[in-house]
Amino acid sequence: MLKVEGLSKRFANGRGIDNVSFTVHQGEVFGFLGPNGAGKSTTIRHIMGFMQPDRGSVTIGGLDAWKGQGTVQKLTGYLPGEINFIDGMTGTSFLDFMTSMQGVKDTSKRNRLIQRLQFDAATPIRKMSKGMKQKVGIVAAFMHSPKLIILDEPTSGLDPLMQRVFIELVLEEKAAGTTFLMSSHSFQEIERTCDRAAIIKDGRIVTVKNIHELQSMQRKLFEVVFATQEDAGRFAASGLQVESHEGNRVRIAIQGDYAAFTQELAQYAVRSIDISTQNLEDIFMNYYDRDREVNAE
Amino acid sequence: MNFSLYKEMMRVNLKGIMNYAMGSAFYMLFMIWLYPGLGDSTAAIDELVKAMPEGVGNAFGLNSGFASAEAFISGEYYGLILVLILSIVCVQLSTQLIARLVDRGSMAYLLATPTTRRKVAFTQGMVLVTSLFIILAVTLLAGFAGKSWFLGTKYEFDMSRFTQLNTVAFMLFFAIGGLCFLVSCACNDEKKALGISGAVTFGFFTLDLLGKISDKLDVLRYFTLFSFYRPAHIVQGTAEVTQICLWLLLIGLAAFAAGIQIFRRRDLPL
Repeated sequence: MLKVEGLSKRFANGRGIDNVSFTVHQGEVFGFLGPNGAGKSTTIRHIMGFMQPDRGSVTIGGLDAWKGQGTVQKLTGYLPGEINFIDGMTGTSFLDFMTSMQGVKDTSKRNRLIQRLQFDAATPIRKMSKGMKQKVGIVAAFMHSPKLIILDEPTSGLDPLMQRVFIELVLEEKAAGTTFLMSSHSFQEIERTCDRAAIIKDGRIVTVKNIHELQSMQRKLFEVVFATQEDAGRFAASGLQVESHEGNRVRIAIQGDYAAFTQELAQYAVRSIDISTQNLEDIFMNYYDRDREVNAE
Repeated sequence: MNFSLYKEMMRVNLKGIMNYAMGSAFYMLFMIWLYPGLGDSTAAIDELVKAMPEGVGNAFGLNSGFASAEAFISGEYYGLILVLILSIVCVQLSTQLIARLVDRGSMAYLLATPTTRRKVAFTQGMVLVTSLFIILAVTLLAGFAGKSWFLGTKYEFDMSRFTQLNTVAFMLFFAIGGLCFLVSCACNDEKKALGISGAVTFGFFTLDLLGKISDKLDVLRYFTLFSFYRPAHIVQGTAEVTQICLWLLLIGLAAFAAGIQIFRRRDLPL
C-alpha cells in the first residue's frame, strides 16, 4: 500500500533524512517511532507529497507521491501534527468545506465520528481547545473512508478517555481493511494499535520490527519503596540492574525478564511500586546506544 | 480552479473586501457630492494649484484641473487614496491567500485532498483578482450613482473616461497583485511575504512619486509599474489606454503564472 524506498532529503541546516525505507502492507497499522526532530514529520511530508525527495521515492497504491499529487490524495486521509485551520470557520463549516474538497457526498460517517468523539462541531475553531481541534482533525482524516490514513502524533491533546475511543476507532477501521501509518514519540501510544513499527533516529531508520518484539525489548523502570533500608540494600545487591538506590527507594531497570524481578521482589515487604514514565531513548536504550552496529547489520 | 475552495475563500474574505469596497464607494460619493460646491469656483482653485511648485501638483495629480468632475475625482481620489487602499488590499490579501496558509500549516489540509497545487494556487489567485474587481466595480457603480444623484446634467462628468480610469486602475492592480502573489507563493513565512510584497508595492509607489516631483529623477519611473497609471492623462484622453492595459495584463499574467509554477515545484514545510 505504502512503500518508502531510499528516501533522502538534506536541508540547508544540515539536518534531514537519509535512506529511509519501509513498506506498509494493506490493512496494517504501522507505527513510526522517534523522538522529536528525528525525521518523522519530514518523512510524512514526503509521503504527503509536500516535499520532493533528493533521492528515493514514495509510492502509495503504486502511484508516486510527488508526481501523483491530486490523484494520490484520493487514497489518503491525513492528520497533521500541528493543527491549524483556516481563520473564521466553525468546526462544522470546516468539515463541510473538507467534505466538498474531498468530493464526498455522504455525511453519515462524519456524523457518527462526531458523535463518537463527543464534541460540539458548531464551536468556532479559534475558541476550541487543543484536544477539540485534534478531534476535528481526526474526523477530517477519517470521514471520507480513505484506504490509507496517515496520522502525525494523533493522540496529543486528547484526554485518556478519548485516547481509548481513538484506539477503538483505529482498530475498527483496521478491521475494515484500512491501512494506517501513525507517527509518535511515545511507545505507549502505538503499542496498543500497531502491528509493526519503525524506529527512526537522526534521520535514519534504526529498525523495523514486529510490535511484540519491540515490547519484549522495551526497558521499563520500576521504582520500589521498601519497608526498611536493609531490605532495599539487599534487593539492590541481588543482581538486577539497579538504576539508582537511595534510602529505602530503589529504581530498577527491567527488559523482558519480569519473572526474575517479581520472584526477587516477593521476598520483601514492599510499600509501593511505581513505573516511571520514560522517553523513547530510555525505553529503547539499546537501539539508541548501539546505533552503528544495528545499521551495519 | 477548485470551486469549493473558491467559494470558501470568498466567504472568508468577503467581509473584509466589502469593507474596503464600501469605504471606497462612500468616499467616491462624498467627493462627487462635494464637487458642485467647488465646481463654481474651479478657476480660482486652478489658480491656487498653479501657484504651487509644479512637482507637487504633478505628484498628487492636481494638475488635471478641476474643470470637470472626472478631472477633480481623478486628481483627488484616483491619484492617491484609491491607490493606497488597493495597494494595502493586494499586499494583505495575497499574503493571506498563500503564505499565511503555508506558514500556519492549514495548507496541509487543502493539499491532503484530491486537488493539485496548481489548482489551489490558481484558485487563490482568482480570489485575489475577484476581490480587486469587486472593490473597483463597487467604486465605479458609486461613481455612476453619484453622478445621477448629485450632478445631474448640470455638471460635466464623462462616464466613458471615468470607466476607462477604473479599468486601468484594475489592470494596474492586477499586475501589482500578481507580483504580490508571486512573492506569497515563494515564501514560507507570512511576515516575510508581507514585508517583501509591501516593500515592492510601496517601493514602486515611492519611485513613481519621486519621479513625478522632480524631472531630474525622471529615470526612476522606468522602474515602477505605477508609471503606466496616469489618472490625469486618462481623464484628459491623452493616455493610450488599450496599450497600457495590454502591458499591465501581460505583466500580471506572467507574475501569476510564475507564482503558480513556483508554488507547484517547491518544498512546503507543512
